[in-house]
Amino acid sequence: MANAEQIAAQILSTKSLCVSSSWLNTFLASSQRNVPASALTKTALFRVLASDIRQSLATNPTSLFPIDISDPAVQERRIPGPIPVQVLDIEDIGTSLWSQVEAIERVERGEAIRGREIVRTVNVGDDNEGTENESSNNTGAAGAPSASGSSGSGPHRLILQDANGTKAVAIEMQCIEGISLEKLPIGAKILLRNATVARGMVLLNPNCYTLLGGKIEALDKPWKEGRKARLLQRIDSMGSEAN
Amino acid sequence: MTSVLGHLTGLEFDRQYKGWMSCPPGALFEAPVQEDVDKDKKPIADNIRNQAKYSKALFIWTDCDREGEHIGAEVRNQAKAGNARIEVKRASHVLQAAREPVELDEFQANAVAARIELDLRIGAAFTRLQTLQLQAVSAVLKEKVISYGSCQFPTLGFVVDRYLRVQNFKAETFWSIKVMLSREGKKVNFLWKRVHLFDRAAVTMMLERCLMAKQARVTKVNQKPKSKWRPLPLTTVDLQMMGSRFLRLDSQTIMKVAEALYTKGYISYPRTETDQFDKAIDLKKLVEKQFPDNQWGQYAKDLIDGKFRTPRSGRNNDKAHPPIHPVCWVSPSQLNANEKKVYEFVVRRFLACCSDDAKGQGTDIEIQYGEEFFHASGLIVLERNYLDVYVYDKWESSQQLPNFERGEMFEPTEANISEGKTTAPNYLTEPELIGLMDANGIGTDATMAEHIAKIKEREYVVVHPRGSGRSKVEELIPTRLGVALVEGYDNVVAGLPNSISLSKPFLRKEMELRMLEICAGSKSRQEVVQQSLDMYREVFIHTQRRIEMLKAACRKYLNEQPAS
Repeated sequence: MANAEQIAAQILSTKSLCVSSSWLNTFLASSQRNVPASALTKTALFRVLASDIRQSLATNPTSLFPIDISDPAVQERRIPGPIPVQVLDIEDIGTSLWSQVEAIERVERGEAIRGREIVRTVNVGDDNEGTENESSNNTGAAGAPSASGSSGSGPHRLILQDANGTKAVAIEMQCIEGISLEKLPIGAKILLRNATVARGMVLLNPNCYTLLGGKIEALDKPWKEGRKARLLQRIDSMGSEAN
Repeated sequence: MTSVLGHLTGLEFDRQYKGWMSCPPGALFEAPVQEDVDKDKKPIADNIRNQAKYSKALFIWTDCDREGEHIGAEVRNQAKAGNARIEVKRASHVLQAAREPVELDEFQANAVAARIELDLRIGAAFTRLQTLQLQAVSAVLKEKVISYGSCQFPTLGFVVDRYLRVQNFKAETFWSIKVMLSREGKKVNFLWKRVHLFDRAAVTMMLERCLMAKQARVTKVNQKPKSKWRPLPLTTVDLQMMGSRFLRLDSQTIMKVAEALYTKGYISYPRTETDQFDKAIDLKKLVEKQFPDNQWGQYAKDLIDGKFRTPRSGRNNDKAHPPIHPVCWVSPSQLNANEKKVYEFVVRRFLACCSDDAKGQGTDIEIQYGEEFFHASGLIVLERNYLDVYVYDKWESSQQLPNFERGEMFEPTEANISEGKTTAPNYLTEPELIGLMDANGIGTDATMAEHIAKIKEREYVVVHPRGSGRSKVEELIPTRLGVALVEGYDNVVAGLPNSISLSKPFLRKEMELRMLEICAGSKSRQEVVQQSLDMYREVFIHTQRRIEMLKAACRKYLNEQPAS
């Protein structure tokens, strides 16, 4: 049977993730005996990526955000890391909230816009109710907009959390493949290396960003379902500020 | 030689179904119908039958489109009634009409027959249902016929959709970085590649990082010839869209005026989808005809003296009519005010088509400042060409840019944050509506203007002017009844899987696709009528069952006093 140290070392060397020994022991206790070490390591990694890193990762000072990372008084600092973090929120700050709401509503109605033409994205004669039915589209339109209705222009603002629970805002300074409302689920794990933090914001670019993948289902599902309501709420609160 | 005046016959329900209370409205999906010669067309039909008696052959020369084919079939039926042995042929193409007579296209005639039957049944069923049900809801509707048409309602739907978007719109603040450089006595404004962002803290941080970098670097200097293309040959949809934008006439008026100009022989047939000129047309000859004009005569001469270019070809050809063009010159004194406007537009457009593109020199400068990119562009118009005659297009030189070298570094004179707010879309204008109808398959170029006129006449929408003087535009705003009907029908199907609201273009579009199948011979008229009726019957049944939704929407909008 593989021992905990072997697995931890393997995950550390391949993914730079330092798994907490208590979490790993619990994992090993619940897994079947006589499983080859390689398979067990794979499963462990998969579980880590689906877990809340506050439980699954060790809290070494070098793999954590500075406690005062969000301090806007600091003009610029560099955090060498590598720091594993998980995504708690993602937003498109290049698109107005209202146009995002309109896009979601179009999807709810089963429509997409292609130039001036309104396209039905719901398969007629299909039993699906529609909103989930993103890929089917009876017009055969190429490049039909995706279900969240986001134009995906970005840049995106993320909220990232480290293994200690410290949160930080991150801004996508250069376009990063894989950061989009559709592609990046809540709870996805990211590794930050040599990231710059300016005025309390982590600056993301392809050099400092490695996507490890995964998601936290328990966070992702309610996040998706509540997105329109949250957008509307923010629009409302903006209105009351103005008055 | 004799003539007809559009369709000879009309389709009607048998007498016992004609009264509004004679049957449940749903029965009209199946009630027997019969085709009769319209009362006012009786003399025309009689004439054809009489003439047929003394003729060996009938040569039909109607428009080479679907409607023309159907009218041709009506004429043939009358002629055969007068003389069963008469030989019938029709003109195949306007340009070589008499040379190659062909048979009538039964498929196309059948497609029109199917369309007529569907319009009658669906229109009558829904009109009766909603009128009878809604009249009682509000005093305003008491004496009113609330008509339904399968093109009318999606047309209304577009207007309401935009209206609600305007009404529901919420303004938001955004922030942007502007960079300015004074050089050679000129101020160059660089625009942010990100345009603007909706996060103030992020923009502030980004600006700070630009300022920290102190120097900006020129990353691209592109000099390239630019051109503004001359317009494509004129189609009906374009005439209506451009016309209502530039001439400030509504599309129906434009079509009436254009038809009058056609009847008088000044312009070609104004109903066409074709945006390419046939090689056989002698365009130069048509240009020469414009020499006498005081305004563009000289321009036309210049074209013939060497500036003439073969027009661009669009992608559409209805194989029936050429693009709209002037046939001969007419003195402005012969025309009324609207005719003058439309004729002038057609001529200028035609001359523009036969001209060269406008040409200029464009400069694009891109700079990197900190981590951010900015750009400035300049344009010098070198040759105006078609713009000289096509006064509707604007293309102007910008301020000239100072010289920049790729790779050079400079310190911007100013860099700061500007704040702005998103603005609501405008209400729908008629040209936009025509564009939407065209893209979504609602109506044909020949009928779009009628559908728009119909929803105005039915008081589902009203026209409001916005702005004044040259920037004046007319906007379409739905009435309370218009909004109520759309919301009502949307509610009727809300939550039902795969049911489509009558306010959306999809049902009609599907019906239109089936018409094409008849034309292609892959479906019969009966099949298509049945399939389309089934589609609409489903919505009809939902509507009957959930009629309360429709009533509630009408109550909501018509019985409440407006808040303001």
